[in-house]
Amino acid sequence: MITLLLAAASLLCAVPDTTVTLKGVTVSGQRQHDYQMRTSQSAVQISHDYLQQNFAGSLMQTLEGVPGVKAMAIGSGQSKPTIRGLGFNRMAVTEDGIKHEGQQWGDDHGLEIDQFAIDRAEVIKGPAALLYGSDAIGGVLNLFSNHIPTEKLEGTVQLFGRSNNEQIGVSAKLGGRSGKWFYRANLTLIDYADYKVPTDSIQYYSYYIKLKDRRLRNTAGLERDGSVMLGYAGYHFHTDVRISDSYSKSGFFANAHGLEVRLSDIDYDHSRRDIDLPYQWVNHLKVLSHTTWRNDRLSLEANLAYQNNLREERSEPVSHGYMPEPDGPLERRFNKSTYTAALGMKLALGAQHELSAGISSEYQHNRRGGWGFIIPDFETLSLGAYAFDQWTLSEQLKLNAGMRFDHAHTHIHSYNDWFLTPTAAGDSAYMQRSADIKRNFNSLTWSAGINYSLGQWVFKVNIGKSFRVPIPKELGADGINYHIFRYERGNTTLDPEESYQIDAGIHWDNEVLCIQVDPYINYFPNYIYLSPTSQYVEGLQLYHYTQAEVLRYGVEAQLNWLMTEHWEAELKGEYLKAEQKSGEKKGYTLPFSTPWSADAGIKYHLDRQGKGFVGLNAHFVGAQHEIVPPEKPTDGYFTLNFSAAKAYQLGHTTLKVALHADNLLNKRYFDHTSYYRLIDVPELGRNFSLMVGVEF
Amino acid sequence: MKRYIYLSLMMALDCVATLGFSSCSSSDDDAPKDMTQPVITEQGITANPIDCQVYQRGETIPFHYVFTDDTELGNFNIEIHNNFDHHTHSTSSTECAPADKKAPVNPWVYNKDFTIPAAQRSYDARIDIEIPADIDPGDYHFMVRLTDKAGWQQLKAVAIKIQ
Repeated sequence: MITLLLAAASLLCAVPDTTVTLKGVTVSGQRQHDYQMRTSQSAVQISHDYLQQNFAGSLMQTLEGVPGVKAMAIGSGQSKPTIRGLGFNRMAVTEDGIKHEGQQWGDDHGLEIDQFAIDRAEVIKGPAALLYGSDAIGGVLNLFSNHIPTEKLEGTVQLFGRSNNEQIGVSAKLGGRSGKWFYRANLTLIDYADYKVPTDSIQYYSYYIKLKDRRLRNTAGLERDGSVMLGYAGYHFHTDVRISDSYSKSGFFANAHGLEVRLSDIDYDHSRRDIDLPYQWVNHLKVLSHTTWRNDRLSLEANLAYQNNLREERSEPVSHGYMPEPDGPLERRFNKSTYTAALGMKLALGAQHELSAGISSEYQHNRRGGWGFIIPDFETLSLGAYAFDQWTLSEQLKLNAGMRFDHAHTHIHSYNDWFLTPTAAGDSAYMQRSADIKRNFNSLTWSAGINYSLGQWVFKVNIGKSFRVPIPKELGADGINYHIFRYERGNTTLDPEESYQIDAGIHWDNEVLCIQVDPYINYFPNYIYLSPTSQYVEGLQLYHYTQAEVLRYGVEAQLNWLMTEHWEAELKGEYLKAEQKSGEKKGYTLPFSTPWSADAGIKYHLDRQGKGFVGLNAHFVGAQHEIVPPEKPTDGYFTLNFSAAKAYQLGHTTLKVALHADNLLNKRYFDHTSYYRLIDVPELGRNFSLMVGVEF
Repeated sequence: MKRYIYLSLMMALDCVATLGFSSCSSSDDDAPKDMTQPVITEQGITANPIDCQVYQRGETIPFHYVFTDDTELGNFNIEIHNNFDHHTHSTSSTECAPADKKAPVNPWVYNKDFTIPAAQRSYDARIDIEIPADIDPGDYHFMVRLTDKAGWQQLKAVAIKIQ
């Protein structure tokens, strides 16, 4: 699902919340310059206007316009983010500064956040352990839904749809401010049907699955999100509380739940909008509280959060091996609660130094259910403390350095099968699938960086160490993963995964040209890797967790050119290579390796105020022959995409329309980084996304 | 062209990084990686079982296939389970008409892992599998799974009938 965007105000080369006008370019160039000087990390801001104008069906698809960011398709038209090829537990997603804790390790678990409540976003590419602790190895996707209303009453109503899966949705936002008090409320409803692929059949191993009307059976779904926020915004003191709930239900592709091929008695083809077994539903409840106090020199911040992620996966009960047919369809249930508390401060020490420090703590409590076992019950308590200094030697030269220490304690509970398996002596046993494990993990991480500005140039270098604590599945799993139909064995001796990375950033701009190049090198001494072996256990191929040295490197580059008052051209591309340097798969790459890609786009701005544009984009993706079992090489492809947006001022209200058309040529292609690539499901055919919004 | 310049730059960086972080292997050792799946073939033999074959309870299935791999074979597994519910596949070219659906009472479950001697590129797999006399007759799936040393896997599903 490659959706590629043309950027009116290109992401890297313009500033959030400014509209690009030719007269204003110098100003925005200066501001962009300033933004690039603010952090030594490779970071990209995505404004509210950008998100709206480039609406591509979902937040993640819109964010794919950022070089280095990809939406990994996980079926049902849903996707999960990856930054520079790292996803799952190797990147962090935060909402208003609090790390989002769902079941992010899972292959088919999406974002579980109301994407229409998001005001703006920020992508940090590269290690960010210092502020975010465990997991922020590949980077961080920061989402913000805490914009403070400025009017007594303001709001937005948006209607949107997608042609491919006949998605319809509505989202409403309401907010207001009275003196120093403010409130916000959000509601989003989305419904979609089975999605279409440009093929009549799917072939997987020796199985041959015919599709009706080119639709992937049972991939329909729905989403219901709501939130309320109350706050007080004073000059020195700010506090707010936000309660949000996100519920979604979506079907799994009926013929290959996970990767096991099945036919069923369920008449999937009678409706393309219903959700039959197998399906999943997930509810994410969040309560966030932010409080800040600041004066001229010092600011203090306290964040508290409670999150509950409740998920069920239901499928037709069937016997497998020694497991008899289970009683009901509840295959897996996960109930994870996360409590977070963080305290931070920023102190200006003279004119040159700004010192930041903080402590944070997180407690996770996970309980499982259902007849399928994949992740054990566990509790994890983690504590972290950091200090960071930003030293401004001059307007042209800034240095920064920081350190962080983390401690985590995990208690994994034992789990035994609910059915008997014959053992060697003619006996039988409830096999143990997870042992009782208690582990402590300590990690010391650091980072340092420099920003240097010289005329129209900005140079940045950042070096950092990041880490992640092994997840309970990696430590404790010992059983069949029915979703992928393989036997997975954890490794209780795993160390925290560590990563070292050097990032560089080179920026240059003038009135009409803007260039940004971001190369990086990343080294893992002990990447945690689920390695396929040649062994069989209980009839299925054994995959076990190992740690191996991994070297990754890559670059993103972007060029924007304002050719005339109306015309703008954009070129961008990314390249990434990963190689395992030790262990069983030495010489192989990592799974789901991102192939190179390049984009060429042209855009016509309708007027000088940046209120509308029409654009065309060609997206090229290289072939990927660097694979690791059980992957298949993937051919390259290109797609042609169209986008347009316009805003109309109607008295006090603004009408906004955004249209996005992907894959205009209806090409049939495979995305190497898609989860469904393994079962040869091609990407979406031609697809139109339309959003109409009224702001008042 | 740009890409080549860039690639050589990256290769230089690669070595710098390798030097910096661990022992530098001056060039990537070019031990050939196994990039293909092993093969389950009937070539040169009379393979057993094949689709739609009918076996009697109490008799033996003389399993015989040839396994090959371009680098080194791993292990294999044979699994037999009932298809009384017509659950799977519209798989191979031939489709044999299944008997009516029914609920299993004493279905045959067979699941066994086998090893292949080390360093083999070709293996003649012969196993005699006894069909218990007291099992439910009907449609069964005969599954063969084969790995190579590198962890690639090949599957073969055969539909048989037991009377």
